[in-house]
Amino acid sequence: MTQEEMIKQVMAEVLKNLGGSDAPAAKPAAGSVSSDQYPLAEKVPEKLKSASGKAYAEFSLQKVISGELTSEDFRTNPQTLIMQAEVAESVGRDAFGRNLRRAAELTAVPDAELLAVYNALRPYRSTKAELLAIADKLETQYGCKISAGFIREAAGVYEERGRLKAE
Amino acid sequence: MARSKRFEALDARPVNQDGFVTEWPEVGMIAMENPGDPKPSIKIENGKIVELDGKKRADFDMIDTFIADHAIKIENAEAANALDSLEIARKLVDFNCPRSEVIKITTALTPAKLTEAVSQLTVVEMMQAVNKLRAREMPANQCHVTNVKDNPVQIAADAAEAAVRGFAEQETTVGIVRYAPFNAMAIMIGANVGRPGILTQCAVEEATELDLGMKGFTAYAETVSVYGTEPVFIDGDDTPWSKAFLASCYASRGLKMRFTSGTGSEVQMGYAEGKSMLYLEARCQYITKGAGSQGTQNGSVSCCGVPAAVPSGIRAMLAENLIAMALDLECASSNDQTFTHSDLRRVARSLMQFAPGTDFICSGYSATPNYDNMFAGSNWDADDYDDWNIIQRDLKIDGGLSPVTEDEVVAARNKAAKVIQALFRELGLTEITDAEVEAATYARGSQDMPDRNVVEDLKAADGMLKRGVTSVDFVKALYRAGYEDVAESIYNILMQRISADYLHTSAILTKDFKVVSAVNYPNDYHGPKTGYQISDERWAQIKNIRQAIDPATI
Repeated sequence: MTQEEMIKQVMAEVLKNLGGSDAPAAKPAAGSVSSDQYPLAEKVPEKLKSASGKAYAEFSLQKVISGELTSEDFRTNPQTLIMQAEVAESVGRDAFGRNLRRAAELTAVPDAELLAVYNALRPYRSTKAELLAIADKLETQYGCKISAGFIREAAGVYEERGRLKAE
Repeated sequence: MARSKRFEALDARPVNQDGFVTEWPEVGMIAMENPGDPKPSIKIENGKIVELDGKKRADFDMIDTFIADHAIKIENAEAANALDSLEIARKLVDFNCPRSEVIKITTALTPAKLTEAVSQLTVVEMMQAVNKLRAREMPANQCHVTNVKDNPVQIAADAAEAAVRGFAEQETTVGIVRYAPFNAMAIMIGANVGRPGILTQCAVEEATELDLGMKGFTAYAETVSVYGTEPVFIDGDDTPWSKAFLASCYASRGLKMRFTSGTGSEVQMGYAEGKSMLYLEARCQYITKGAGSQGTQNGSVSCCGVPAAVPSGIRAMLAENLIAMALDLECASSNDQTFTHSDLRRVARSLMQFAPGTDFICSGYSATPNYDNMFAGSNWDADDYDDWNIIQRDLKIDGGLSPVTEDEVVAARNKAAKVIQALFRELGLTEITDAEVEAATYARGSQDMPDRNVVEDLKAADGMLKRGVTSVDFVKALYRAGYEDVAESIYNILMQRISADYLHTSAILTKDFKVVSAVNYPNDYHGPKTGYQISDERWAQIKNIRQAIDPATI
């Protein structure tokens, strides 16, 4: 199995665990939405789901009150963030779109771990090996391919600029 | 020598309590056009920027690398940077050159080139450019809601009043850090009692702020600070990469977010590297852009006293707002921190954004008297509400606020205080007494509020976090307490996480939770009688000040 296949498999697992049954987040159908469909909640609500897999239309205040919907149901679906990236890109906001694509991947990372990765990226917090290990873990365990590349890029710059933790 | 009575009188004027310094370019104590600023240049090889503003890649610092690799639209860069800076400056102002065409050029420029272009303009020309380049069609405003006692009942009441008055976004912070969950909760509930659909935030340390957002205590974040030189960035305990990652963390949790920066921060921290304040702030805006933030809070912000002390400093603050807009970013244009003793100067400073209108003219306007503002005071405060409203009326401009009646305000404050009282009770937190509700209803500030038991409050706030309470619990508790309408508003704020529509540039929500952003309401100004026009209905609101009497009755 090539590394790419392995990553695809891992990502499929992650999405399944999140309750999402759609195609893996990394490769959505290109051009599936644009600014014409924005706001998505008004124009294409049928395309929206929570991370727990519940459709936008299934949400109601009454279901929160009855306990049928919990705080776990109010997490953002990676596919939604990919669609919002497409909207951003359709109006020329490429860098913002890239941020939303990184964010789509990071929906799979638990809160505490996400905070830990952020702190590890601050100056003098990590050795190069530690940053590379974080990148590998994000990529293999959660399918965060873009973010992993981003962290590896940071590790290189931190090394050049002397911003790593002293070994 | 005998003293001139004229000069004695002048010396006693408030403006002469302000601090002024002459320029010192070598240390960066200069607002714009420092001879030490780099000359614009760009070289691209194999799709990669190998020279930026006079520096070869081998000599890049961390910020140069980040900007070169993430912030400049490379496909159009050579053509755009080859244009004459004066020609670009004229395009910024000329209403016959549409915003879309300007943005195509400006997002491909280098930081030194864009800085050089905006430096060609007078403040009047910059205001014209802001009128055209603001991302969202209609302007809005943001306020601060804090108090020296961190009193949550007062925060809820002040937030409700501020919402009634028209602020689309509201920001709180803390005196005591452990009060953060209460303050965040109080501003969210209070604001949405006043007017459903207000987005709220709580400014605290980066990781804590993200954590509060994840729990649903806030809807957006703003205090994600960036700096224009590497040593200051590192002193701020971050890098462009950590901040870009943080931006993605927020988006991954469905939270709106913008960066913060401003002229003067680098020289204030002693590492301006002999550059002008504006050039360094341009670098901040490129970092903001490259990190993928939808927007910025800039305009010197909490360093306002530094550029304000040097020649052309207030102009530089307008220029930095304009740079943000030229990079197609949402701009919350400061007009917050106090910088002068002179009422004349504080109005002159704010007219630069107030007259043309920005995405958020103030970021923020203090919704309390200045003694309660925990962001070190604001250029505008609650005691200025009528002045702001009357300036809107005088100039027929929309600064985001509306005149209100005393009855409306008292009713909104009272309801917000009662709702937070009920929410505290339902969540098993500390008691809020009827006396506190009554005091908050009529209070001007914390001097009118009874003291709370701080030790018990902090214990309850800690306990609430330990129990894993989220805003879903707020919704249920509010419903149980009989405030179905407020429960529904908080539920609708949570629903934004599912659609994520409000993550986009310059997004705000209407009272019906419809998203209004630069995507569905882009600024299309292209000359007189185009772009945002004050409607008859809105003008009737602005005109209707309580002080005006019918001349027929005289």
